[in-house]
Amino acid sequence: MCELSGKLIAWLDGELPADEAAGVEQHMEGCAGCRSAIESYKQVSCELNAYCDEAIAASSTDCRMPRWIPVASAAGAVAALLMLFLAWPPAVRKRHAISFPPPVVATGAIGGTRVVAAPPAAPIREAHRRHSTAAEAKKSPVAVQTAQPVRDEVTDILAEEPVIRIAIPADEMFPPGAVPEGIRFAADLTIAADGSAERLRLRPRLAGFERRTTQP
Amino acid sequence: MSGDAANLALPLSGLSGGACEASTLYRELRKPLLRYLVCLGLSSDEAQDVVQDAFLTLHRHLASGGSQENIRGWLFRVAHNRARNCQNRYDRHFREPGEADLDAPSHEATPERAVLEKEKFQQLRNALRLLSEPERECLLLRAGGLRYREIGEVLGIATSTVGDTVDRAVKKLAEKCNV
Repeated sequence: MCELSGKLIAWLDGELPADEAAGVEQHMEGCAGCRSAIESYKQVSCELNAYCDEAIAASSTDCRMPRWIPVASAAGAVAALLMLFLAWPPAVRKRHAISFPPPVVATGAIGGTRVVAAPPAAPIREAHRRHSTAAEAKKSPVAVQTAQPVRDEVTDILAEEPVIRIAIPADEMFPPGAVPEGIRFAADLTIAADGSAERLRLRPRLAGFERRTTQP
Repeated sequence: MSGDAANLALPLSGLSGGACEASTLYRELRKPLLRYLVCLGLSSDEAQDVVQDAFLTLHRHLASGGSQENIRGWLFRVAHNRARNCQNRYDRHFREPGEADLDAPSHEATPERAVLEKEKFQQLRNALRLLSEPERECLLLRAGGLRYREIGEVLGIATSTVGDTVDRAVKKLAEKCNV
């Protein structure tokens, strides 16, 4: 056993001071045992590197397999929302449907109230039809001015009030520390008529702001 | 969670001063960190969580004007401590590095070569198992490209102790693997 055998690995790793490294190199020129030892240390270091590379590669392969889980979860959530929508009492849906005032075709501003062109009309009850055309609106502008805010108010309330609310804690959606403290997210999910998810919007909220609004 | 470059690019890109440095560090050090953690015994998901956590901590560290000296060693230390916290939290020891992961041969290898590689990795795994914990950690950090001084900072031991530990561990490995 050479007296410099304890410095071979440090020399291999480039951790020796220059003068000591020079001494080791000079010694190795005449010592076959140290040269052989250096070769074996190099080899085992390379094998350890290969082992680590293979471990991370195998781990990544394992990680790819359960990727279907989030997809299946999302599909399940959409299916659950669809079932809830279908199981909703038809009377309630109908009441909401008939509570809409007639669509107004005219565009522009009337008396400070913005009138929005409505989509093609669905069947409307007789009681609400009298203000449904632009011609009739011209005949009774006051009625339109009073009726339109009602429409905006109703649609705004319905638009802002979700029928179904699902609360998912941020800790479940994001890794620890990913969301700054005091920030929360509210997600608005819009379901299309065929039950598919139409739009998902994440809105950040300040936790402190929510607390202040709930206080009397 | 598997967190990804896109997810981490957002918080890191928010840095004003050290943005470029943090992004460069992320590209350079993410894989060595993951490799170290997986070889330490974490699952892929756990390792990715720890790495993301470590880079978020780096983001806060740099944003608050923290020291930028030896960031690589600093990141490894944070990741190492997080990994140990995971171990304590779940009150379990991590599985041996690569256990079960390395059973599947690589797709590119021929059957003969795959068998030889599997045997070699099995031998190396058994040899690693026989090492003490500091010896194994020193070796894995060395395989991650850290200098002895950085390894000492990660593990909280003197640089000379790292040299002795690495020397002992490599010789043990070479002996057990008949290299």
